[in-house]
Amino acid sequence: MYSQYQLADMYTINPATAAKGLNLLADEGILYKKRGLGMFVSSEAKEKILFKRKNQTLKRLVEEVVLEANRLQVSNEELLSMIKALQTKEGNQ
Amino acid sequence: MKIIECRDISKMYFRQKALEQLTFSIEENKITGLIGRNGAGKTTLLKLISGFIKPTAGEIKVFSEQPFNNLFVSANSILVDDSMSFPAALNLGDIMDAAAAFYSNWHQPLAEGLLDYFSLEKYKYHNRLSKGQTSTFNMIIGLASRCPLTLFDEPTIGMDAAVRKDFYRALLKDYLAFPRTIVLSSHHLEEIEHLLEDVLLIKNGQCLLHLPIYDVKEMMISVEGKLAIADQVLQEKEIIYEQSIGTNHVHRVLLREEASVEELQGAERMGLKIRPVNASDACVYLTDKGKGVIDDVFNKN
Repeated sequence: MYSQYQLADMYTINPATAAKGLNLLADEGILYKKRGLGMFVSSEAKEKILFKRKNQTLKRLVEEVVLEANRLQVSNEELLSMIKALQTKEGNQ
Repeated sequence: MKIIECRDISKMYFRQKALEQLTFSIEENKITGLIGRNGAGKTTLLKLISGFIKPTAGEIKVFSEQPFNNLFVSANSILVDDSMSFPAALNLGDIMDAAAAFYSNWHQPLAEGLLDYFSLEKYKYHNRLSKGQTSTFNMIIGLASRCPLTLFDEPTIGMDAAVRKDFYRALLKDYLAFPRTIVLSSHHLEEIEHLLEDVLLIKNGQCLLHLPIYDVKEMMISVEGKLAIADQVLQEKEIIYEQSIGTNHVHRVLLREEASVEELQGAERMGLKIRPVNASDACVYLTDKGKGVIDDVFNKN
């Protein structure tokens, strides 16, 4: 993993901010520290990120879609067919 | 280690109070943003730290010494602002040579590189430069001197957008290469917040807050939507800022600690828009002069 100083240079941010980001990822077990060597990506990192994105990000997006559909009085069938149409289109690519 | 320590410092200009019992300290090798409205006392504070002026009351220590009339503090600190005066007889190259002789950490390759990059010629004279070029040259002196304590007072005045961006990047890159204590004053927190570790916010000569930038970004949330729903959701909560939008919509700002995550999610489901408040806006709300919003001026007539 890049060090806090490399990240600071890459994104023009304060190294303390970069360190904060790395520590947040370490707290979640996505990164781990090796004393004197730096931060490394843990073996379960991918699994953890996928789980989080599915259960937080995607869930919230779906909630928003359903809310907006209700506001616009779009029926469940219509909403599902819209999603299916999009899925077939994406699938063809 | 603490580089700057201020205890109850006040500064009067004749009968006008510029600073009033200001207390704070700044740790070594941090970049701190000094933020405040016009006339809040930013420049006065930086001049006190550099030892250009003396406090009326209170104690100020820089590198554990009183900065006024102190050669050690002068040799280890630099204040960059738009009123830096250099002898009119010296051209830019001469000024750089003089700075190199005075500041022990002076980094000539950086000075030459920046001078060339910003197309400033050594044979030119400081008082013949444009506003933006003056700020650019002063900034180069400030960076290349690599002082353990580097103070920038509104360093980007007159610089165009491209130069400002380059300056911020240069500041960060040289800080990474050569860590030092930096204080940067600006009205434009949104422009410098990515560089900062801490924010020192002053209002009417007093310290309003001194926090990591991360905490300032997380401090407030904004709620926007129908007045009736906002009233219902936000009842008994302290509102920091309020602006009506049309007759039945409202925009309100409150401290994040006032509302729980569940409350906010509930509010979102009822159709209110919840957004984080960026650090710059948070500071504007905190330094509100208590005269309402700008719309009030127009609504009176």
